[in-house]
Amino acid sequence: MSLILGYVATLLVTFFTYNIFVIGLNIQFGYTGILNFTVITFMAFGAYFYAVFVMPHADNASQVFYILGLHWPWPLAMLAGIVASGALGYLIGLIALKRLRSDYLAIVTLATGTLVYGLFGNNNKLFDGWSGLFNVNQPFQSVATNHPNEFSWIFVIFSGLIMLVVWLFANRLYASPLGRSMRAIREDQDVVDSFGKNSFKIRMLAMVIGSVIVGIGGVLTIQYIGALSPAGWTTGETFVVWAALLVGGRANNLGAILGSLLVAVIFNEATRYIPQVPSHPNLIPNLRNVIIGSLVILSIWFRPQGVLPEKKASFLEVPLVDKYAQGFPGEEPDSALSPAGSEA
Amino acid sequence: MANSILEVKGIKLAFGGVQAIDDCSFHIEEGTITALIGPNGAGKSTMVNVISGTYRPDEGQVMFDGKDVTRMPNYVRAQHGLLRTFQISREFANMTVLENLLVVRQGQAGESLFGALFRAKRWQAQTKELVAEANEILNTFGLYRLRNEYAGNLSGGQKRLVELSRAVMAKPRLLLLDEPMAGVTPALIERLGNHIVELNRELGVTFVLVEHNLEVVEKICSRVVVMALGKQLADGTLAELRSNQAVIDAYLGGGSRERVGS
Ligand SMILES: Nc1ncnc2c1ncn2[C@@H]1O[C@H](COP(=O)(O)OP(=O)(O)OP(=O)(O)O)[C@@H](O)[C@H]1O
Ligand SMILES: [Mg+2]
Repeated sequence: MSLILGYVATLLVTFFTYNIFVIGLNIQFGYTGILNFTVITFMAFGAYFYAVFVMPHADNASQVFYILGLHWPWPLAMLAGIVASGALGYLIGLIALKRLRSDYLAIVTLATGTLVYGLFGNNNKLFDGWSGLFNVNQPFQSVATNHPNEFSWIFVIFSGLIMLVVWLFANRLYASPLGRSMRAIREDQDVVDSFGKNSFKIRMLAMVIGSVIVGIGGVLTIQYIGALSPAGWTTGETFVVWAALLVGGRANNLGAILGSLLVAVIFNEATRYIPQVPSHPNLIPNLRNVIIGSLVILSIWFRPQGVLPEKKASFLEVPLVDKYAQGFPGEEPDSALSPAGSEA
Repeated sequence: MANSILEVKGIKLAFGGVQAIDDCSFHIEEGTITALIGPNGAGKSTMVNVISGTYRPDEGQVMFDGKDVTRMPNYVRAQHGLLRTFQISREFANMTVLENLLVVRQGQAGESLFGALFRAKRWQAQTKELVAEANEILNTFGLYRLRNEYAGNLSGGQKRLVELSRAVMAKPRLLLLDEPMAGVTPALIERLGNHIVELNRELGVTFVLVEHNLEVVEKICSRVVVMALGKQLADGTLAELRSNQAVIDAYLGGGSRERVGS
């Protein structure tokens, strides 16, 4: 019974953290059209920097090496992780957003991701290389050590609350004039500039906000598990976040949540628990990628905007008397949008 | 000379080997509607891009309202009221017509991150007013019933109207229109012309109009600047230019755009 409860709690935490990842990407890509192909690197930044701020100084005798080791209280360390992730977003933005168009930005993010992966993996003095960090201090530490099941459920509530804040934030941003400018940049950046908005600044803002949000998810991930190694943030994980957003529906946060439920929880997590075939140890993970890949292809084929497409904006308004209710002379007769009334 | 709101002086701009603009100068008087004409490839669109700040000239100066704006980024020029439209319609396709207008108004409370998050009451109230204002503009342009349609779904002529009404929403002082009548039915050309004249009279907007259709130019423009091969060839009223031999040779007399442009 407690095993099942623990499992359910883990699934819920996974669901919540993936929601956060996908909402972060949604602000970058769905709102603003920024192609960030290394979402998971920001998760790793958040997680690792949380870890080295919260853990005590590295004990050389244990042969585990990492930088800093400041032993800060976990809420402060959490902030540090989030700031680190946002700073990485800012840096990539400086390199790529000023002059480069979105397709080049995609390449810059991919390159950065590969670079960071190699650097963090091969250099065992930074975050303990390929073996990664473990025994990372968790919030509510005494509960975590003594009552692991209770900790899981406390963490479900904790991560759920943070997800709620992120969700409210993202929705308010979407509806605001700033969010509207972001979506206009997604449609045509030059036009937004030519109407007096600094599109570079707005894209940078979206880049950093998205990075910060993904970083929050990263901190939560390592807080829950207490460990992270490069095997946990391969390029494939970025693909999962993208798949969730594309399947669920970009520029719609409800779609982002549906996508992370479908892709990240049901297809990705659930398949982890299918029994291994001893003669083919890689069969299940490979199968998982095949399934998620097919899901993306099917969804792009049949629902290119995702299961829940972007909602059409509507406004409260006082109706006017339409001056051209009878149609106007310049109306193209073949217009698909001719009003029903003026045709007669 | 009267109060000139725009002055370009000695502009030069080359793309690789092509000298698109070659020492071109002219000025535009405040409150007028001026046409910028010339054969294909004369450098008119390039000049619009230089004036609006999309391109930086190799040499020369752009003065707007007495200030040198040559090195000013395009979005700052736009903040000063120097706005432009594009030769091909560039609507925000996956946003509604109404949203297309709402985006461009400057100085909204919710445009900063702080404002977006913590001044929601204010920007919500503002948006409500802007929606009413945008609806009035759309109604004038005959787009009211299409206000909740995605701009990308509109016909070519309707998109032209969206471009113009969007520019009006941005409250321009000087509006550069790059071939606003291209690919538009004759009836709509007439309407667009009337709108431009009205905006000029009622709101005092100065217009610079790149236009091939000389009938339109004759009807609505008080002055014409002719460009050819990247240079300012002549300026004056259309009647004056009709008797100018250089202009006839380069443009007017030729009639066919193809012949002259090649
Ligand atoms: N971005 C560019 N790169 C290279 N050459 C360019 C570029 N833009 C314009 N040109 C060249 O500069 C010259 C002027 O072009 P421009 O578009 O300004 O002409 P135009 O007067 O607007 O012509 P049209 O009436 O056909 O619109 C042309 O020879 C064109 O090929
Ligand atoms: Mg042109």
